[in-house]
Amino acid sequence: MSPQYSCLVVEDSPMMRQLLVLALSRLKSLRVTEADDGVDGLRKLATGKFDIILTDINMPIMDGLKLVKRVRTDPVHKDVPIIVITTEGSTEDRTRALQLGANAYITKPIQAPQVIAKVKELLKIDA
Amino acid sequence: MEKRGKGSRGSDRPDLSVAAEIKEKRDAFLQTFFKRGAQLTEELVGENRRLGDQISALEEENAALKTQLASDKAIRDLLRKIDELERDKSRLLSSMHDQAEITTRFTEVESELESFANLYVASYQLHSSLRPRTVMRNLKELLMQLVGVRSLGVYFVEDAERRLVPIASEGVDLALLPPIPLSDYTTDDVTATVVERTYLTGVPHVAEGETLASPAACIPLQLEDRAIGAIVVYTLLGHKKRFVTVDRELFKLLGAHAGGALVAAYLWGKDDAGLPSAEALRQICA
Repeated sequence: MSPQYSCLVVEDSPMMRQLLVLALSRLKSLRVTEADDGVDGLRKLATGKFDIILTDINMPIMDGLKLVKRVRTDPVHKDVPIIVITTEGSTEDRTRALQLGANAYITKPIQAPQVIAKVKELLKIDA
Repeated sequence: MEKRGKGSRGSDRPDLSVAAEIKEKRDAFLQTFFKRGAQLTEELVGENRRLGDQISALEEENAALKTQLASDKAIRDLLRKIDELERDKSRLLSSMHDQAEITTRFTEVESELESFANLYVASYQLHSSLRPRTVMRNLKELLMQLVGVRSLGVYFVEDAERRLVPIASEGVDLALLPPIPLSDYTTDDVTATVVERTYLTGVPHVAEGETLASPAACIPLQLEDRAIGAIVVYTLLGHKKRFVTVDRELFKLLGAHAGGALVAAYLWGKDDAGLPSAEALRQICA
């Protein structure tokens, strides 16, 4: 099955990024692109078309909240579903992200089935 | 004719007597005849009634038999239907059982996949750098991100002093972590006791059930066949209530690889070691 959907993972930690990519690679209909931080994420968004974005909140250079805000003003990607990845204690960040237009959040430590379920739900993928 | 004529003419008395006799006989005959006729008619009527009753009875019997026949057919149909339903039920039960087995197996496979993915990432990240600082950062991050550790310390052995010294921490001030003497003396400090025992025995301490007590876990750092330190997990994130199988597998991997990765990174960076020559490697490996 060739990928139908394109996903952008924005995460500064190589370990977390690798974990997310590994989890998402189980969805054969998804093609995953990686970005190191918010700015790199914007760069990838400027040169491609994505169906869903997963972003960490705490990142250097440009954090996830700023990225969410920018995406929502981007004419190409303003309606793309965004999942933010937060830590346990960051309730304020989570609330802020949702207010800025994020569609869902996942709390660390992340679990692959949880990530997959959320992406499938937002992309309305059945299998 | 003549006689009769004579008699009639001679005297009416005998003729009258004969006529009366004849009449009597005739009446008797008629009486008998009609009586017999009436009797026969009665008998016929009775027989007719009897036959009518018999016909009715037979008709009733016939109707009853027809009903029974229909009822038997309905019962046979019902029994056949019950059989079919029983077969369907068995099929469904079997299918449900298969489905339950598939679901269980699917959950197991999911769990194994997650475990493999975590172990792959952990192994990859531990050996992805030859800078001790990066190795340590990755080690801490693996514990925080994959297990859900809130606070931890890493101890390294000081053979000369016979003690374990804290070399890194997260979620707790490194300066506040005391060295742990490797002595035979018992101490009231539970953490020190657990860490010392783990180091000396090489047997990991991983809390069973809810992780309420500190330390939640202590993992010996192995280098080949000896312990060189320990990872101490003090507390977990609030929503992480207990360790699961994947965590225990990760602890095993970190215990076996993290010490080696740290020492190798340190030796690589020391005095700009650089790459060994092929000849040197050939001689060592031969």
